[in-house]
Parts: sequence; structure tokens; C-alpha cells
Amino acid sequence: MRYIKILLLLVLLPFAGCKSRTDNHQKKMAIVVSTLNNPWFVFLAQTAAAQAKSLGYESKIFDSQNNTAVEADHFENAIASGYSAILFNPTDANGSVANVLKAKKAGVPVFCMDREVNSPDAATSQILSDSYSGCVDLGKYFVKSTHAKGNYVEILGIVADNNTWARSKGFHSVVDYYPGLKMVAQQSADFDRNKGMEVMESILQAHPDIIAVFCGNDAMAMGAYQALAAAGKADKVKVFGFDGAGDAIQGIKDGKIMATAMQFPKVMAQTAANYADAYFKGKRDFPKKIQVGVEMVTADNINDYIAYGKKN
Amino acid sequence: MGKKIIKYTLTIIVVAFLAYNSVYFKKLSDVKAAASKTFDPAAYARTYLDKKLLPAANNAPDIDQLINEVKSNPGKAFKAYAHTLNIGNTRFFMAKGEGTITNIDESDIYITTTGKQNIKIATEYIFGNALRDAPGIITVNDFTNSMDLNNVSAEVNKLVRGEILPPFKSKAKKGDNISFAGAFELNQEHLNLNNIEIIPVNLIIK
Repeated sequence: MRYIKILLLLVLLPFAGCKSRTDNHQKKMAIVVSTLNNPWFVFLAQTAAAQAKSLGYESKIFDSQNNTAVEADHFENAIASGYSAILFNPTDANGSVANVLKAKKAGVPVFCMDREVNSPDAATSQILSDSYSGCVDLGKYFVKSTHAKGNYVEILGIVADNNTWARSKGFHSVVDYYPGLKMVAQQSADFDRNKGMEVMESILQAHPDIIAVFCGNDAMAMGAYQALAAAGKADKVKVFGFDGAGDAIQGIKDGKIMATAMQFPKVMAQTAANYADAYFKGKRDFPKKIQVGVEMVTADNINDYIAYGKKN
Repeated sequence: MGKKIIKYTLTIIVVAFLAYNSVYFKKLSDVKAAASKTFDPAAYARTYLDKKLLPAANNAPDIDQLINEVKSNPGKAFKAYAHTLNIGNTRFFMAKGEGTITNIDESDIYITTTGKQNIKIATEYIFGNALRDAPGIITVNDFTNSMDLNNVSAEVNKLVRGEILPPFKSKAKKGDNISFAGAFELNQEHLNLNNIEIIPVNLIIK
């Protein structure tokens, strides 16, 4: 009888162990980001991975290389490999919807970070920067610092991304009220620093008399500044960016960049990972969309900020 | 033979029924019209201003009392009176009050309130989300598209710029006593009560 009891205990013991393992450790989070060729998105992905780890989950970062086909492969791999949630930074507001729906069909919740997909129901929740409002503030500062007079240029991000147009529209919702400010060129540089430099070089050939350039992100702003410096116009043309990247913060300190809008990627990435954790624990009533405030950074308040956030 | 005819007839009817119900034809102009019949931010802003914002402004706290409460207990005052649609530090307040115009420049009218607070009323840069967010009536999830939400702010601001400011700006002068109501923003992490700028929704020269 005693041997039977011991045998029974030995059989039951491994099952008792399994119960506690099902909590967090078998769940994994896939972190799919549009590109890792931009330090801002690297920070976003790494922060999400760190938060997932601190909550007790495994995670893996996937780089979509700004290509929805690559992104689709990542989604298929993530679903097939048993990832339980996808923390997602989409490549294309429309083109990425199918990937999100694929995950939804497979029962895998998707939490969008920073960029949205054009579907109200596809993602479990979308945690986004309030890009439009940030650019309204930048637009006001642009008007004040240019005294509402002169020719200017706008360098746009990826044309298929909603953030590109949210930023552009926020900026124009202010600047277009001032007829003295004339936009002489508007061109995309895909949120890329090198392309930003090339676009600025080519625009300067046709429009050497510009007084300012508004860029949809800091990488393009730094590229544009490089082109202006090479052309000897750095002190005549005011450069405005968006993101709060490290080189732009330093650029404001050095007087190279007039202003940027600080996004808070840490807040977005941590919220996405926290939401996934809550989902695993049974929560289902997530806000479909939640916006994270953006703050303008200029020479006046630069000491309150560091790269990607506020000083503690 | 008769059975075959019935069988074929039934098959044809079923196929015709399925084919008829499988394909729909619509005029391209109708489809385009339906697609463009989306959210109308101007109409929304008109209703919001008249039916929600102005009543909210009438019921807003007094500016002097509000500033004193923020000074003495910021956490409690932000919780009681401030709203925002975002995660972040910027919060919006509704307030009303009375005061005397002490200065006018191209961007603002400067007021000393009855409680001796120095504030500004914006007359040039009527932009941003203060009037949309301050009453706490609108939520992000009322809108399927973020741009619709942004356009509400733009259209409400346009109404203020076009209807509320011109009759006031044309008559206001230094020394006038006025009553006002509107919204303003404060950063709860970097609190600065010395630079309050109200986006007005109601302005009366007494």
C-alpha cells in the first residue's frame, strides 16, 4: 500500500509542476516592426522586448524592412511558431490590415504601436502617438519663428503611412492660414536620413531661396541639415523635425535644429506589452485606440528632455 | 420524360436564383457617393459648439478659484477639472471669469481678472485640441479614424476664428471690462501658471 502511495505521488508530481508553467512561461510575444534601419524603431522594439521580459514572457523581434510582403511572412511564422500575441508596428496602414486579420483569425491578438492600420476592428488595440497635435504645435512655432513670411519646403515620410499625413495635415492646419508662407516643394524621403539629404540637395538646386524646411521625422531633418550645411546654407534655413531622436535633441542644443516633437516610444511599447499580458490573463475590453501625447521640444525647454523621452 | 422536365426546370430555377442573387450591379457614381458620404467634421463641430461646448463653458469653474485650487493642490485639481483624450502630461481645463483688458498685441489680449490673476486670451493662434478635449465629452473611440477626431478640433477652432473672435476683436480696447469663457492647457509635470492662454468660446464686452 505504501509503495502504491509513493508511486501515485511520483505520477502526480509532474502534473502539479505543469500547472504553474502554464501561467506566463509558455506564452510568447512576437514584436514585428516596420524597420530596424531607424534607431527610433530599434528603441521601440527593444523597449517592448524588455517589457515583455520583465512581465515574464519570451519575445522575438521581427524586422519587416518596410515591406508588407516580408511583414506577411513574419505574421505567418509568428502564428505557426505559436506566438500568443503580436506587438506590431505596421508598415502600411492599408497593406498591413490583411496581416492583422490573419492573426485575428488564428486567435492571436495584435497590439499596434505608434502606427495604425485602417480598420477599426482588426487589431485588439492601437496605441498611437498624437502626431497631428504635435505638428499643430510645431506649425505654430514654425509661423512664429519665420515671422509668417518666406518660401519653405516640406519633406514627407512614407506616403502609405497614416502618420506621414497626420503630421503633414497637423502642420498645414496652422501654416496654411498664413499666405506669406509659400511651400515651394513637397517631396517624400521615406523617413530615411540618406534620402532626406538627397531630396534636400535636389530641392536646393531649384529653390536656393528657402527659409525653412519641415520634415516628417528627425532622421530626414538630420539628412536635410547635412545637405544644407554642405551647401553653406545651414544658418539661413530653419530645420524642423519630429520624433525626439537623440541626434535631433543634440541638434537643438547645438542650434542646428529649431524644434522637434517628442514622441514617447517607451510609453507605447510598454503599454502594448502590458495589454498583451492583460489579454493573457483574461481581459478583453481594451480601448480600440489610445493616443499618447506628443510634446514640442525647442531651445527653450531642451533641458527637460533626453532622447525618446523626458528627463526623470 | 415528365420527371426529367420537372428536374431540369427545377435545376434551371435553382441555378438562375443563385446566379441572380450572387451578382449585384451598382452604379459607380452611387458607390463613389456612398464612399464619400463619411464623417462631416464641420457639421459635427457646429452641433458640438452649440449644444455641448457653450453649455459646458457656462457651467465651467471660475478662473480665479480654479487657479487657486491648482496652486494649493495640483493633483486634486487636475483630477477634478482636467480632461484629455491622450496618455500624457498635457491636460485641458474649461474656465470662465471676468476681468479688465490691460494690453492687446497681435496674438493675445491680456487680462487681469477680478481675482488679480494675469492671463491671456488667444486671438491669433486658435489651434489645438483645448476646446475639443477640455469638457471631457468626446472620446477617442467615438471615431473610427484619427483624422476625423483631428478635424473636429480644426473645425471648432475655425468657428471660433470666424464667428466668436471678429466682433470682439473689432471693439475690444485697453481698459474694457469683459467676461469670458474658454479652455486652456497645463502640463501637469511642468506646471506653469504664469502663462495661461485661454482659447475663447464666449467673449462679452461689458
